[in-house]
Amino acid sequence: MAEEQYKDYLAGRVLSEQKPVTYRLLSRALKTNVNTAKRMLFDFHKKQNAKKPKSVHATYLITGTQRDSEHTNDSNGTNGRNGEDTDMRSSPFMSSMPEPEDSDESEEDDEKPVKETTLLLVREEELEETRTEFADIYSIHIYSLEPGPLENLHVLSACNREIADEHAKKEDPLERWKTYGSIRNPHIKRRTAKYAPPAAASAPKPVAKPVAKTATNPIAKLGAKKEAPAQARKGSASDDNTSERSTAQPPAGPSTLKRTDSKSGAKKDKSAGDIFKSFAKAKAKPKEAERSKESTPAPLENGKYLLTCPEPMQGMSEDEGDADDEPAIKVDEEKNEAARKVREDRAEKLRKMMEDDDEDMPDAPAADSQPEVTPPAAADTPEPIEGEPTITVQNGRRRGRRRVMKKKKVKDEDGYLVTKEEAVWESFSEDEPQPKKHKPAPAKPANSAKGKNAVKKGQGSIASFFKKA
Amino acid sequence: MLTQDSNMLQGAPFEDAPAIPPRNASAYNPLHTFELPTGGERHYQHQFADLYFLRLAQLKTTVKQKAEAAWHGFELGEMKASFVERVLDVRQGELCWIVGTVFMEMAKKPNVLDDVTKEHWINAPPDRATYVTAGEDEMMLEDESGRLRVSGAVMDSHYVTGCILAALGTEQADGTFQVVATQCADLPRQPQRWERDDASETKPKRGKAGKLAIVSGLGLNGEDDNELALDLLVEYLTGESAGPSTQNEASKITRLIIAGDSLVHGSPILSREDFDKQKAQSRHYGYDATFYNASPIERLDDLLCAILPSLPITLLPGQTDPANVALPQQALHHALFPNARLYAEPLIKTNETLHGFDAVTNPWEGDIDGFRVLGTGGQTVNDMLKYVEGIKSVQAMEMMLRLRCVAPTAPDTLWCYPFQDDDPHLLKECPHMYFAGCQERFGKKVIEGPEGQKVLLVSVPRFRDTGKIVLVDLESWAVEVVRVGESGHQTLGPCLVNSIQPTRV
Repeated sequence: MAEEQYKDYLAGRVLSEQKPVTYRLLSRALKTNVNTAKRMLFDFHKKQNAKKPKSVHATYLITGTQRDSEHTNDSNGTNGRNGEDTDMRSSPFMSSMPEPEDSDESEEDDEKPVKETTLLLVREEELEETRTEFADIYSIHIYSLEPGPLENLHVLSACNREIADEHAKKEDPLERWKTYGSIRNPHIKRRTAKYAPPAAASAPKPVAKPVAKTATNPIAKLGAKKEAPAQARKGSASDDNTSERSTAQPPAGPSTLKRTDSKSGAKKDKSAGDIFKSFAKAKAKPKEAERSKESTPAPLENGKYLLTCPEPMQGMSEDEGDADDEPAIKVDEEKNEAARKVREDRAEKLRKMMEDDDEDMPDAPAADSQPEVTPPAAADTPEPIEGEPTITVQNGRRRGRRRVMKKKKVKDEDGYLVTKEEAVWESFSEDEPQPKKHKPAPAKPANSAKGKNAVKKGQGSIASFFKKA
Repeated sequence: MLTQDSNMLQGAPFEDAPAIPPRNASAYNPLHTFELPTGGERHYQHQFADLYFLRLAQLKTTVKQKAEAAWHGFELGEMKASFVERVLDVRQGELCWIVGTVFMEMAKKPNVLDDVTKEHWINAPPDRATYVTAGEDEMMLEDESGRLRVSGAVMDSHYVTGCILAALGTEQADGTFQVVATQCADLPRQPQRWERDDASETKPKRGKAGKLAIVSGLGLNGEDDNELALDLLVEYLTGESAGPSTQNEASKITRLIIAGDSLVHGSPILSREDFDKQKAQSRHYGYDATFYNASPIERLDDLLCAILPSLPITLLPGQTDPANVALPQQALHHALFPNARLYAEPLIKTNETLHGFDAVTNPWEGDIDGFRVLGTGGQTVNDMLKYVEGIKSVQAMEMMLRLRCVAPTAPDTLWCYPFQDDDPHLLKECPHMYFAGCQERFGKKVIEGPEGQKVLLVSVPRFRDTGKIVLVDLESWAVEVVRVGESGHQTLGPCLVNSIQPTRV
């Protein structure tokens, strides 16, 4: 299957894109065995360089025992170390110590030599030379191909990062051995993540800095934006999957849609750009992306919408006490499999969405209308003025900032005390009154009402104070 | 040499690659010796003196028996050696032997009383590479009654604070006790292989034991990690790199132990350098959450997740890991590993995982393939090496076992939990294998005890500096080393890294 595909892939990657490719990346891209991939690299390398010399550069991995590796390495390392480290010691006597120690060491090594296998990464041009250093070579294979000689071999680790970002999360790690031929361990089991702790933890971040610009907090945004389109899509066309999770989605869907309606067109365009910005960021921050995609109750991970669904609330509150270590419900393998597939589908869909949503965007912009992403914008919306642009609910507590009217006494230039009323932002944190709210709509009024209440209370008490005085 | 089937340097046609045999299960039965009581049960207000009395009380009988066997009827000149119960009862000129705890008086050793009395609130002095000042250090033997200054041959035998010894000698005119010979407790009873497992149930059918891979000092800092070496490590362990012969060898590994210092800057108590750095940056008093960098631990989580589908991992914390600093260090919390913990049993069910990811204490002991394995993250050995000159890690480890104490220098120069009733650092049973992570270099040694005990000692070098992984074949006790690296850096690399790193012994 991959017989011809690999040439196209390698030509595209190495010759056109000018990027290095390791055997591992090739095997992931083509879903083929790693050992086959190593030989594909060799085949490509040979044929390309036959066509056009020096067009492709290879890095080899030599496995074997080095001739005097023990000697060169250890004695060198020892001498260097002792020479440099002893300057901490203030006593001059010590410098004589390393010598007996060294001879002692080498003596012992000679007595019982320890087998040392070396896996050495070698550039094409050093291959022959390095080969001679080995007493015994078990195998040599091409580790990677790249368009030209590499200054620093460390760039090759980018390929493995790419695997982690783009390939690894789509598949079941316990099934990898089938495709790629890594060593199988039939005894290892993996639980499925019940909650999505990491992304949830990052959600309150934007609240702490309400004025943060959209680009500065990619993590939270990422969570919000990536998931929101999914919700929107599910809301509009929810017939495509039958996961148990889909039951939780409909209530979330409408709420996002509703918020979209209150947005102006101009903002849509801006936010579309933001999506891409954040998406680009997502690539740079693979782990977050991975997590938010993997996580099961992901749509609810931004604190705001937790209100709409009682189920994850529970999860959140338990997260404090190590949520995942709850006894996972014994899901049988099929169910796991199904859930995983659904997740993968969704991730795939999500990606498509992100790719083509810049033109028409039926309801995708729902994502960025979220107030915690662009707090100032939210404040501008025709909501009550004492609104709550940055309220999050977490662990049954509401936290955020709200505007409160405060009285301020100032002495004016005539020496009179003048009392002014000013609107002030204050942060607050209070118990969540109702943990379960089934409709998303009431959530808002409730919040604003709270704000008002608080204001009234404050006024009342101050007034009474003055009466007494 | 290159055989046809392992030759990866050939092109099409691509027949199917030969399958690698799956791994065997790792027969794994951890002990919970070093787990501290949780929550309100854990008290830090106890006196450390109790710890020393406890050790002396527990070991005195054994050491006394050893000494009696060795020195009974011993005569020097016309004098016959006799046992003196308390060190202060020793009479001048009388040949006798006493049992007590060693205390080393060293000018360069950190002394908590100095810190308290001098009352200067400056930064702690930098960590010393050694406490030894040749010719000036004094050694004492103490018990409940008092202390006795010791001199003689014993000074050269590498004893450290906290050793329980029997010493034979006479008191000199100047009041010092001139030592002729010493005895220590030596190795305790060694359990049979499979002893614990056999006790619980009927003998299951057991295959051949596999290999144990030990790596330590990954030293992730999230910035200038040697990603390539880490990749090669993962690829070797999962059996992806190299040819079929090496892959088949790798498939015999049944468990990976990560012995400490997986992160460089993870410790809750900042090193001197880190503290200065943070102080310069920070504008706030106390802990500043904005300086928290999650990337090293995320990288570690990813690394574990890459290996775990193929290989079970036992993770010990080390000096620079985000665990408690006082020995015994408790397991790294599961919340640090959002992905890797999916391979572990839920904490609520059990705190051990037999096939998967098991975060354990440091020191740790347990049974692997029936053999008792004792391991540490290396602080205990490194600290002991500061007391003595010219001995290697494995020799220090041997001494610990013979003294029956895994951390003799705690609580003198190592932070330690103030145990009251029982000190788990005292060896109750002799392990079959004892490893220490984060050592300067690789070393191995097989020692034997008086009752035929055999112990394999392995010191594991830091992976970050050396790129070395230690493999122990549990069936034959053969030790091998696998080194990953890149050419051109093979000799230069480790030295370079070492000279840059802050000195730590």
